[in-house]
Amino acid sequence: MNSRGNIALKVCLALILLLAGLTLFGCAGIRSSPEGISGGVIADGTQFLCPAIKQPGGFGCSAPQTEGKLVAVDTSNGNRLWEVALKASRATSGGFGCAPSAVPVAVYGSPAVAGDLVYVAGYNGRIYAVSASTRLSQDKDVNEANPEPIIGAPVVVGDRLYLGSTDGSVYALDGASLEKEWEFATGGKVWSTPVIDDDTLYIGSFDKKLYALDAGDGDKKWDFETEGAIIATPLVYDNTVYVGSFDRCLYAVDASDGSLKWKFMADSWFWAKPVICNSTIYAPCLDGKVYALNAESGEKVAVFDLGSPISSSPVLAGSSVVIASEGGEVYAIDTGSSQLRLLTELEETVNAPLCASEGVVYVYTVARTLHALNAESGATLWNLAIK
Amino acid sequence: MGIGDIWNLIAMQPMINTLIVLTHYLFNNFGLAIIVLTILVNAAMLPLTLKQVHASKAMQALQPKLAEIQKKYAKDKQRLAQEQMKMYKESGISPAGCLLPLIVQMPVWIALYQAIMRVLAVIPENLLGLSKYLYSWPVVYSTLPLENHFLWLDLATGDMLLALLVGGTMWVQQKMVMTPGADPGQQQQANMMLWLMPLMFAFLTLSFPSGLALFWVTSNVVRIGIQYSATGWGALVKSAPQKKGERDKKYKQRISEVEKAPQGGDIVAPTVTQEEGSSHEESESERQDRGGGYPKSIRAIRRKPRKGRSHRHKGR
Repeated sequence: MNSRGNIALKVCLALILLLAGLTLFGCAGIRSSPEGISGGVIADGTQFLCPAIKQPGGFGCSAPQTEGKLVAVDTSNGNRLWEVALKASRATSGGFGCAPSAVPVAVYGSPAVAGDLVYVAGYNGRIYAVSASTRLSQDKDVNEANPEPIIGAPVVVGDRLYLGSTDGSVYALDGASLEKEWEFATGGKVWSTPVIDDDTLYIGSFDKKLYALDAGDGDKKWDFETEGAIIATPLVYDNTVYVGSFDRCLYAVDASDGSLKWKFMADSWFWAKPVICNSTIYAPCLDGKVYALNAESGEKVAVFDLGSPISSSPVLAGSSVVIASEGGEVYAIDTGSSQLRLLTELEETVNAPLCASEGVVYVYTVARTLHALNAESGATLWNLAIK
Repeated sequence: MGIGDIWNLIAMQPMINTLIVLTHYLFNNFGLAIIVLTILVNAAMLPLTLKQVHASKAMQALQPKLAEIQKKYAKDKQRLAQEQMKMYKESGISPAGCLLPLIVQMPVWIALYQAIMRVLAVIPENLLGLSKYLYSWPVVYSTLPLENHFLWLDLATGDMLLALLVGGTMWVQQKMVMTPGADPGQQQQANMMLWLMPLMFAFLTLSFPSGLALFWVTSNVVRIGIQYSATGWGALVKSAPQKKGERDKKYKQRISEVEKAPQGGDIVAPTVTQEEGSSHEESESERQDRGGGYPKSIRAIRRKPRKGRSHRHKGR
C-alpha cells in the first residue's frame, strides 16, 4: 500500500463514512423540516383540513416546500370544494449561496371555525384567517418582534382567538383584526392547545405547569406544577381539569383552585387529549394503551391495549369512543360494555386527531389521505388523497 | 427482530437515554451533555483510537521504504506486491491495522450522531418518534423535551461560527497526521484532501443542527489531543516556515562541520548536542519523506547515524 494508495483510501473511507452517516440519517426517519400533523374540523357539512406539507429528502440547496394550504371537503361525498394557499412570508438564511428559504407553513393544530372565518396557526408563527365564502385571507405574525413556531391549535370563543406559541406566551387576539389583546408569558414553550371553560383558559407549558388564566384579561388564576412538560390539550369536565404530562401521569386538578384531585401513572407520555363519557375518562397513551379511569377517583376501570402508540386524539361517536393507533388500526370502545372492537385497519400511520360528525369518523393519515368511516361498522364511505 | 430493532436496542437506546440522563444531571444543559458524552465515548474508544494512530504512524514511517520498492519494481507488479507484503511482515505492520479500529468505531459514531439528532426533537414528529427509544426511568421522561439553547447557539439550527470551528479543528487534526508526499503530485493530492474535507464538513455543518456540529468540534478537539499525545504536533509544526528555516540552518551548520571533519559520521556524532540531535532526527525523517533534498554526498554521510538510531530502537 503506497502513499498514493493510502490517500485514495483515505478519500474513499471519508466518503464512505460520510455517506453511511448521511444514509443512516435519512433512513432513521429523523426529519429536520416540519411537515405538520393537523386534524380536521367540521362545520355545516364541510370539513376544513390543512394537509401535511411534503419535504424533499437529501441535502444541499434543494428548497423545501414552504407553502401550506387549507382545504375544504364536502363531508357527504368526499369532494374537494376549494383550497386556499397559506403563504410563507418570512425568509431564513440559505447560506453559501443557497437561495433563502422561508419557514414552512406546516400546521400542527386543527383549524378553528367561527362563522365564515376559518383560523389556522402555522409553524411559521403566523395566524391565518380565511373566509369560507370568499376565500380571501389575511394573516399576521402572532409575535411580530420575534415570530416563533405555533404548534397548538387556535381556539375561538366569541370574537376572540386564543392560542399558545413556542415563544412561551399565550395570546388572545381579536378575531377580526388579528390584533393582540393580551399576552401571558409562561416559563417554557407552549405546544398545548388552550381550552376555555366559564371564562377561564386552561393551557399547559414546557415549564411543567398547567395554567388557569382569566380569558378576559389574561390574568393568572392559578397554576399547577407537574413533573414533566405538558403538551397535551386539557379536558375540562364537571369543575375538573384533566391533563396528561410528560412525567407519564394523567392529572385531575380542581378547576376552581388548582389543587390536585388525583393522578394516574402510565408507562409513557399522554400526548393526545382524553375524552369523557359516563363519568369515565378514556385516556390514550403512547405506551399503546387506552386507560379508562373513573373521573371522580382516578381508579382504573379498564385498560385497552391497541398494540402501537396512540398520538391521535379519540372522538366520541354515539356511545362509542373511536380511537386510532399509530399503526393505523381504528377501534371502537363501547362505553356501556367496555368492549374493544376493531373497526378497520387502514395500514397507514395515524398521528392526527380524529373528528366525527353524524355517525361518521374522519381519519387523516400520514400518507395524506382522508378516510371517512362509518363509526358503527368501520366501513369506508369514501377516501380522498389530500396532498 | 429485524436489524433496525437490534440496532435500536444495542446502540440507539443506550446512547439516547445516556444523553438525556446526562442532560438532567448537567443542569438540564443539552450542549454540555453532548460535549461530555462525546468525551466519554472518545475515552471508551481510546484503546482503539491509539491503535489506529500508532498503526498509521508506523505506516507513515514505512512510506520511504515503500516508495523505494515501488520505484524499484515499478514494472513488475507481482514482485512489487510480494516485496510490499514482505516489508509489512518484517516490520510487524498490518495494513488493516489502520482501518480495523476505524471500522469498529464507525457504528458508535453513527449511533451518537443519530442519538443527538433524535434527542434534539424540535419538531413534534421527532419528539413523538423519540418516545419509542426511552427507558422507563422517571428521570428520562420528565427531562424531555430538552432546552436547545447553549451559549449563543440554538442547537437545532446551523451556526456559522461553529461551522468555522468544525472546519478549523478538522484541518488541524488532518494537518497533524499528514505525511509529506514523495512526489509533487502526491503532495498536491494530500493538500487537496487537507482542505477538501474541512470545507465539506464546514458546509454540511451549516445545514445540520449545531448540536451535531458541537459533537464534531468536541470530537475533533479530543482527537487532536490524542494525536498530540501519541505523535506530537506532526506536520502542523514541521510545516511552519520559520521552524523549517531554523532546521535548514542547523542542517547547513552540521553539513559544514561534516565537510570540514575527516570522513565518517561516527566522528562527528559526539559534537552534536542533545537538542541538535533531536532536530537532526526530525529533519532526517522529513528529508527521507521528501526523497532527499540534499546532495548525494551528504545523504551518504547521514546514513550511518541512522543505522545507530535503528539499533537504539531495537534495544528498547
